[in-house]
Amino acid sequence: MSGYQHRVAGKRLNRLDGIGKVTGKHVYAADFALPGMLFGKILRSSEPHARIRRLDVAKARALPGVRTVLTASDIPAIRFGTAIKDRSVFADGVVRFRGEAIAAVAATSLEIAEAAVRAIEIEYEPLPAVFDPEEALTSGAPLVHAGWSDYQALPVFDREGNVSGRAELGGGDVEAGFAQSYRIYEHRFTTQHVHPGYTEPRSAIASWDGNGDVIVWCNTQLPFDMKNMLAEVLDLPASKVRVIVPGIGGGFGGKLRVGVEHFAAWLARASKRPVKVMTTSEEELTDAYPRQPTIVTLRTGVSRDGLLLARQGRVLLDCGAYANSGPATAAIALQVLAGPYRTPHLAFESVAVYTNKGSTGSFRAPAGPMANFAVESQMDLIADNLGIDPLEFRLRNVYREGDKGPAGETLTSVSIEECLRKAADAIGWHDRRPAHGRGKGIACSWWLTTGGSSGVYVKINPDGSVTLVSGAVELGSGAITGAAQILAEELGVDLADVNVAEVDTHSSPYDYGAQGSRTAFSVGNACIAAAKDLRRQIGELMAAQWQVPIDSVRLEEKSVISGDKRMSLAEVASLSQRSGGGLISHGTAIQPMPVFDPSKVKNHPLPAWTSHSFHAHAVDLSVDQVTGEVSIHRYVVAQDVGYAINPTYIEGQIEGGVAQGIGQTLSEEIVYDQGRVMNANLTDYKMPTTMDMPRVECILVEKPGVNGPYGAKGVGEPPCIQPPAAIANAIAVASGVRVCSLPITAEKIALERLDRAAD
Amino acid sequence: MSRQPLDLTINGESYQLMVEPHWSLLQVLRRELGMTGTKENCLEAECGVCTVLLDGKAVNSCILLAEQARGRSIVTIEGLGDPEHLHPLQRAFIDHGAVQCGYCIPGMILTAKSFLDECRGHVPSEAEVREALSGTLCRCTGYQKIVEAVIAAARQLNSWPEEAGRAS
Amino acid sequence: MSFAFHRPDSIDAAIAVAREHGASARFLAGGTDLIIQINRRRIAPEHLISLAGLGLDTIGETGSEFVIGAMATHDAVVGHPAFQKQLKALTEASAVVGGRQVRNIATVGGNIVNASPAADLVPVLLTLDATVELRGGAGTRTLPLDRFLVERGRTERRPDEILTAVRFDKPPADSATAFLKAGRRKAMEISVICVAAHLVSDGKARIAIGAAASRTLRVPAAEAIVEKGGRAAFAEAGRIAARQMSPIDDVRASARYRRLLVAAMVERALGICADRIEGKST
Repeated sequence: MSGYQHRVAGKRLNRLDGIGKVTGKHVYAADFALPGMLFGKILRSSEPHARIRRLDVAKARALPGVRTVLTASDIPAIRFGTAIKDRSVFADGVVRFRGEAIAAVAATSLEIAEAAVRAIEIEYEPLPAVFDPEEALTSGAPLVHAGWSDYQALPVFDREGNVSGRAELGGGDVEAGFAQSYRIYEHRFTTQHVHPGYTEPRSAIASWDGNGDVIVWCNTQLPFDMKNMLAEVLDLPASKVRVIVPGIGGGFGGKLRVGVEHFAAWLARASKRPVKVMTTSEEELTDAYPRQPTIVTLRTGVSRDGLLLARQGRVLLDCGAYANSGPATAAIALQVLAGPYRTPHLAFESVAVYTNKGSTGSFRAPAGPMANFAVESQMDLIADNLGIDPLEFRLRNVYREGDKGPAGETLTSVSIEECLRKAADAIGWHDRRPAHGRGKGIACSWWLTTGGSSGVYVKINPDGSVTLVSGAVELGSGAITGAAQILAEELGVDLADVNVAEVDTHSSPYDYGAQGSRTAFSVGNACIAAAKDLRRQIGELMAAQWQVPIDSVRLEEKSVISGDKRMSLAEVASLSQRSGGGLISHGTAIQPMPVFDPSKVKNHPLPAWTSHSFHAHAVDLSVDQVTGEVSIHRYVVAQDVGYAINPTYIEGQIEGGVAQGIGQTLSEEIVYDQGRVMNANLTDYKMPTTMDMPRVECILVEKPGVNGPYGAKGVGEPPCIQPPAAIANAIAVASGVRVCSLPITAEKIALERLDRAAD
Repeated sequence: MSRQPLDLTINGESYQLMVEPHWSLLQVLRRELGMTGTKENCLEAECGVCTVLLDGKAVNSCILLAEQARGRSIVTIEGLGDPEHLHPLQRAFIDHGAVQCGYCIPGMILTAKSFLDECRGHVPSEAEVREALSGTLCRCTGYQKIVEAVIAAARQLNSWPEEAGRAS
Repeated sequence: MSFAFHRPDSIDAAIAVAREHGASARFLAGGTDLIIQINRRRIAPEHLISLAGLGLDTIGETGSEFVIGAMATHDAVVGHPAFQKQLKALTEASAVVGGRQVRNIATVGGNIVNASPAADLVPVLLTLDATVELRGGAGTRTLPLDRFLVERGRTERRPDEILTAVRFDKPPADSATAFLKAGRRKAMEISVICVAAHLVSDGKARIAIGAAASRTLRVPAAEAIVEKGGRAAFAEAGRIAARQMSPIDDVRASARYRRLLVAAMVERALGICADRIEGKST
């Protein structure tokens, strides 16, 4: 389409599901109900690590209105998990964190189900527990999984005892690099558990039909993955499981994995009634998939003129009691630690460990904020020590077009310098200390556009409308509207002509899912393929109909044209339906894996990134010099999106991602004490309000990538990566205090200043 | 505990219900009446997705007993506007890209409606709008386009004051 | 979990219901805290007695004093025209109780009777030397608010007594109040520390602090030094207040940080009062 002025793509058009959402008519999984459904509740462990000595559900079963009570002894002993099959539906005789499911109840009302859960009698035999990830690594630490070596796992991960996965990334000779260095810096950074914070709780309704198939209506981001996982947990062929996503109230990576769906399915099977299970805030903050806490140590050698020579680092990531995506997240942190900087000698290691805390997962840009907080805080620390401006120090070291990435892959469409310069200019970098107590900070990063395949079915209807059937759910980002814009562009119709079908694993084509900044990118590519095939079908049909050469037939403004012949697209679709079954196509897309050097990675599940993007954030803030309170005045993001499919919703992704990043930086933390979550409610789990958010100024850089639709790159995850480092750097300027642990609360800043004044 | 009769006026229509005294208004709306435009999340007045108007004022229906609404007028998102006749706030939320996942949006729009009704005659500042909406969490948008939409709607409501009174 | 819901048509009828059911009954004002406590199973009353519709929601004044009905909402306090000048601290405190939706329901009386050490309005009322009016089976009595509050969750209220109103003298024209609150966010916070101050140009000073001890406290020693030393003593008043508090470590903040905040916020609140009296700020 080069040189062609887009009519639909690239435009600020309204999303397709907006009216339903503003009128309350859009049905979310949490709103979904079936006649005669029961309500499920879960009994959860009150101990962080214990053997279940006695479990008696008789009193619960006897309560009027209780239809089913299930424990581990009522269902097959099946272990499941993303990388390691280490988890079971109910605790398998041992509980490994406070909040772990032990039993489930289905009753005619939520209140009866809650009463039944309280009526279950349980006795524990406490086991030694480990909560600290560094302690978990020591010899003699209690083993979270005594039987770890018997678990099935993806072969890529190097496991042992409490270590659920180890990976390495690097090249060159770091010791030689350090030997050449003018100065060497070593720092340690820590990051906390943060919850994705979707406003719609996780919810599922399961119902079994006459064929012995189970239908699960739920708010998963990955319907096909959910289908397979449920089939595994239910011990069924995958064809017997059907997952439907009515609507989903945000996910941010927190709704990727089975959460309540398996409870609903088992309870429905046992009670022979539909069962709904929905999480409470307390359950969300004790047993969900929050971002893992990490400890990142980073040792860096530089030359006298401020060039990075060698970097050595370790990411220690706390998975909690079950590994889930932890080992992979820890490994991906290594790429974040490396980039976007040229470093001749690199040696990075990731270690994911088990502890007796809640499970964790893949919150938006998994690994991103943690590793970026470390590397970008350290870049400022080094620049300050060398007496080089932090922006200048970054510019001397950033990737250039054609450089090799950390795994030896060739980097193209590199835009980091442009992002840094634009963000710096917009924030007014020349004046980094505009007033006493005020300062500016900058941070940059890179990120991938996740691969995985997408299929779409596209149908042109006899009324000229177009139906898009995708297996990817609309999380809220607007990605499906973006894909529909691409489809409308390719078919010469308006966005309003496109209808999007509900995602149903029985009838939707496969999609790798709404995750990894890939939805608009990958579904968009599949739409281009589907449209191409439809144009071929239209060409063949009308060439025969009009007796004209195929290549004379073209699609323009909802009409099919050849010479002076013209027929509306609706009539062509109608003709096709009458004569040949209709205009329908299957488009597919998958990103090619880049070529990389295998000697640079070890035990790494994602050695090289596909369709990387670059971004820089800059912030201007004040710190109250006594109370430590931080007030953000301006926040600027320059992000390379390749091609802005719909600038409005891209800005929305950036503004929302920054909000989550600001939450992680300043206020949010799931606080554990001896395995107990001390703030399992939204009073004390503190997500930013309107008053905590500054305006976010978005600069969309468009340096086209080679794989995305019209050059687009993944957009959704990156905006939450840099806020911790950018804000930490600005706070250091404004207050003189460098905080290396997240969250950077006012308390930490104020007490650090107090301690310093006392010294 | 036995159910008691309770008459409620919701979106201008009267409902004759039998409710248990401890039921929240949210529970009655969603579970008894199937009016799921009012959303459910934290159940502790921290997130605001359950916001409805009680005698024109925004309240958290999750911690309001249905009994407390006896004899008072309730407006939910279903009563504000429908797809053919969107309220200016609903229109502005769509046009300004303020809607993402949308789960907080009914509560956000009703919070904004109650606020704008109070500042009839002047267009609020960005700071005032932010203060007014601070009891409703949105995790998708970072609030910016929501604030812009509310200010745009305020401008429009001021130029067509007769529209402002609809459904209130 | 359930309870009987009572909707008495007079204050006397409400008292009668309370006497009948004793400790198993609770009065329901706005319910924004009570309902959460019931849902969290911290309390399980068998009877809720609604105080709605009994005429307790007015904010009135006599020649010398203001009378805020217990059922007046925080929203009503925020918008009350008489509270926008010398009594600005009332509006500043009520304006940061929860979100707008809570302020439309939550009441002044509930904020007091709850006896949370972090209640935002209570320190302001303490600096105004407010008294509470209680009506019960044994009649009506008034108590200084400072005596009414016992400790976290405990007051001098008897189970059959309704807190009907809170009263305080109209402040002189040459006086000012201020309220400051610290929390991790800029809205929707339970106070980590809250501070109220009240200064009169003749030197009278009142300082009260929330969330720094097992109840909201006045700090007479700090008040005395301000009464003697004026603006020059504000910082020292803060230090005295910080020493006299007994804050706790919890998930919201450490005791050490709370003390730091007390010192800083007391000094600042007094400074704001002084500026307001001098017309330097609103």
